[in-house]
Amino acid sequence: MAKVSNWQLGRDMEYPYAADRPKKQFTMIMDTNKCIACQSCTIACKSTWTWGKGQEYMLWNNIETKPYGFYPTGWDVNILELLGEQEWDGDVYSGETIFEAAPEGERVLGWAPAEEDWSHPNIGEDEPTGNAADTTYIPDNPHSMMWMYYLQRICNHCTYPACVAACPRQAIYKRPEDGIVLVYQTRCRGYQECLTACPYKKTMFNLETRVSEKCIGCYPKLEQGLQTQCTTSCIGRLRLTNYLSAPDEIDPRKPADFLVHIRKIALPIYPQLGLEPNVYYIPPVHVPTKYLTQMFGPGVEQAVEMYRNAKDDPELLGLLMLFGATERIMHAWDVTGVVARAYDEEGAEIVAVPLREPTFVRPFEFATEVAGEPMTGYRHNT
Amino acid sequence: MAETQITRKDALLYGGAAAGGLVVGGAAIAAVAVAVDNKKPPVEGAPIVAPYVEGDLPTTDPAADAWKGAERTYVALAPQQIAQPFLDKAGITSLDARGLHNGREVALLLEWDDDSVDDLDGIRRYHDAVAVQLPTKSGAPPALTMGAPGSPVHILQWRATWQRDIDAGGNTGVDHIYPAVVHDVMPDDVLPAKTAQLYWVGREAGNPLSQNVRSSPVEEVVAEGFGSVTHLPRQTAVGHGNNADGRWHVVIAVPSKRTVGEALAPGTSWPVSFAVWLGSQDNRGGRKHIANWQTLVLEAKT
Repeated sequence: MAKVSNWQLGRDMEYPYAADRPKKQFTMIMDTNKCIACQSCTIACKSTWTWGKGQEYMLWNNIETKPYGFYPTGWDVNILELLGEQEWDGDVYSGETIFEAAPEGERVLGWAPAEEDWSHPNIGEDEPTGNAADTTYIPDNPHSMMWMYYLQRICNHCTYPACVAACPRQAIYKRPEDGIVLVYQTRCRGYQECLTACPYKKTMFNLETRVSEKCIGCYPKLEQGLQTQCTTSCIGRLRLTNYLSAPDEIDPRKPADFLVHIRKIALPIYPQLGLEPNVYYIPPVHVPTKYLTQMFGPGVEQAVEMYRNAKDDPELLGLLMLFGATERIMHAWDVTGVVARAYDEEGAEIVAVPLREPTFVRPFEFATEVAGEPMTGYRHNT
Repeated sequence: MAETQITRKDALLYGGAAAGGLVVGGAAIAAVAVAVDNKKPPVEGAPIVAPYVEGDLPTTDPAADAWKGAERTYVALAPQQIAQPFLDKAGITSLDARGLHNGREVALLLEWDDDSVDDLDGIRRYHDAVAVQLPTKSGAPPALTMGAPGSPVHILQWRATWQRDIDAGGNTGVDHIYPAVVHDVMPDDVLPAKTAQLYWVGREAGNPLSQNVRSSPVEEVVAEGFGSVTHLPRQTAVGHGNNADGRWHVVIAVPSKRTVGEALAPGTSWPVSFAVWLGSQDNRGGRKHIANWQTLVLEAKT
């Protein structure tokens, strides 16, 4: 075991390999507040990468309804239960990671989903059943409201991947140029150790080729300066494919660095597991803090407040408006007056968007004329 | 018998001292009398003596009469707990081994108890398998841990999945794992074969594990330590396995003149080790049963 630095935990931790951060790190920022679970991303991914025989059950990208939706079943609650209750001491994680809690003879604390756990993505997760008081009714919430939200999930292309740690053959590797985690398709021998180890359950076994496969971060697109399929197909414009700098090289002019490190509006998912995951979530503003803290760590309240105040923060608002505005990867952006502009790696302008889209409100009732007679019309657009 | 424990220290330092206690090397060993009685219980700790036979070996027939001419040796197995991930619990404690050779080929018959036939690979669904480990050079055996850097081993692995690939003509994929599966349009329904093949990435990339059409259920690899298995470009091993009466009966055979290492010549003896996987007990990769080094005696031509 080596000691590595995990900035998300605010401390060093144990990991089977020495730290070797990539030159830049592929990242995705998800604004959970904008998702409607239309699954356009899921279909874009599926129809690009996993429509082959043997990949039937695979969704490298999926959207699930939290808190009761899972793909595969119980992926997060199972590992949380295995790990047991752990504590944060302010911004420093004082609990154990899944590497530190590995039982004797194992490199990672994990569990392997059964085939049926992969077999029914989304089924039943949106149907309310039973009494509200027994479900997500939160008595101590000021609004006593039912709540749910959609969680967008791809591989987190972790800085310290559990799949890499667990593979006895080192058949999974992290690309030094962009931090994308890939399964070496000629080296894998199908032991499925990665399926057991990955707490996010984002490696999958191909039933025809008998080797593991996973989200490849659409690297053929990235290499052309384009954002991923799930990002560019998102009709809610809630995703941003970007690169994150190493924690000691943060550049506030870079979009992901700004969102994650400067405004701290986007948070890692289950950082306490210790993988330093690189998909960052703007948390849903309407969900109880306790639940969000379990999922996104101690920065939740500040992130929600930051999001609520985004309308008064032109720099942040401009960047959020640039989500989904271009297929190209943004390397920088700025805001002049009421316009936000994105730039590519060479500093050339890619796209410009207004901070506020012009709106026009049609009145519900309006005066009109039918067969020469004056009438009151009304809007019917459903 | 007493519980067999193989510690990391044993494996790395003393792995060479084979259980049989024979000094191994290129030197010829006097022919050992072979019992023909197949009902005799297998002998523990004895060398695996492969008699020299005239004519072809039963390389694909575990039930051939020729095997009656080879004495069974009891080989103790222990859960692999040297390198992570461990096999935490043993599912079996031994296998029976016997050998034959004819100067051109060496064949081993390996038998162990397993009443669950696991011959399809699926999600959390693993296969039964057995492997034979041989040094590439005569002399002191390499580390039991699948060799060590600079000190390679030659491994012959039979998998139940590959046997089924052969027996079922490659019909072992998703349609057979889930016989009631209903497919939407698949790449090979609508694309030229060459393009559709791209959706089987492992197969297209040339991973030997991803091929379901194969000519032998035995794979030949070299390794220099756990996790370093490398498929040999020229595959010469053959074999056959079947499960009967709650036992696997598997023949693994390899030409005496190997593609790696020194020839398995008549009149020599070799360290040999084994590994067994029980698919039904989630064995795969390093989660396996292993044997300490045994001695394989290839009798001289008489």
